[in-house]
Amino acid sequence: MQKLVLLAILAFVAMSCNQTSEENTAAKESTEMEQIVSATIQELLATPAEYDGKEVAVSGMVTHVCRHGGQKCFIVAEDGETQIRIVPGGEIDEFKIDLEGSTVAFKGVFRVLSSAQTDELVEDYESKEHHAVEQSHSEAEKADYFVEAVDFKEVTP
Amino acid sequence: MNWRKWNRWIHRELGFLFFGMTIVYGISGIALNHHVTRDWDPGIITRSTTSQYPKLLQKSEVDRSTIESILEIAGETENYKQYYFPSDDLLMIYLKGGHITVDLTSGSIHTTKIRKRPFFSELNYLHYNKPKQLWTWFSDLYAFGLVLIAISGLFLIRGRKGISGRGGILTLIGILLPLVFLVIYLWL
Repeated sequence: MQKLVLLAILAFVAMSCNQTSEENTAAKESTEMEQIVSATIQELLATPAEYDGKEVAVSGMVTHVCRHGGQKCFIVAEDGETQIRIVPGGEIDEFKIDLEGSTVAFKGVFRVLSSAQTDELVEDYESKEHHAVEQSHSEAEKADYFVEAVDFKEVTP
Repeated sequence: MNWRKWNRWIHRELGFLFFGMTIVYGISGIALNHHVTRDWDPGIITRSTTSQYPKLLQKSEVDRSTIESILEIAGETENYKQYYFPSDDLLMIYLKGGHITVDLTSGSIHTTKIRKRPFFSELNYLHYNKPKQLWTWFSDLYAFGLVLIAISGLFLIRGRKGISGRGGILTLIGILLPLVFLVIYLWL
């Protein structure tokens, strides 16, 4: 009988712990959802420091996918000029060239590089032969800000 | 069996086993090495054609009907995605499997169709370790096997042409050459 009571208590405690764990997970997910900031490209670039390190949702038409392994792509803002660099993060290995011309919604972390990191980026950019000709996305490619995407979805094919 | 026989056995058997992998990494390595210009891409094949719009265009007058006319001239009416202006003089129309660039100042229509390059795109897929999972283990095993093939190769031949003679000098040159490149390109 004592064993049965002990087992019942243990089962209750285990269930309670599990429930607490599920509640914690749900609360964590809820908090994470709340922390994702939906922003336009112009909003991100107007006050980059405000968004630095934050998870953001941003969308736009993909103007270019890097031919060297798909390790970056660029989306254009609604003004048709401002572009932002998106790099793959999380489970994303690369961006496929088929994304060019599609409107894509990205979820990821907005990052702002330090001046030393930016100098290094620009130096690396300028050392590449295929960057000899300036393109419409060149400015965004050298910029100190970018989004490290963890998920994306094509909005239009 | 003495150690030289074991050494020869390791070199021979691993050489046979990893022949395919060496070809995969060798050929894709050359392809990736030379993927430095826009002229040749190991992963994709681009085919370009040029045509002419009947009149000069201005950015402000480009609308959906203009786009449809251009698509018709280029024979791409079924593949339209979206368009935008990379600059005031350039119109970019994105297609399924390519794009069209229109020089507004000359009316020149440049259509580029893109498709996967057979063979090389598959080799690159392996070289970049895109499959991950078991391929990571197998390619690690290959890398380790390559080290064993290299070391066992040093002791295949005895005498004047072996590691204690000409072979040793060639081995030393092979070790020094990468160092020379590092000194020139990285450290100086």
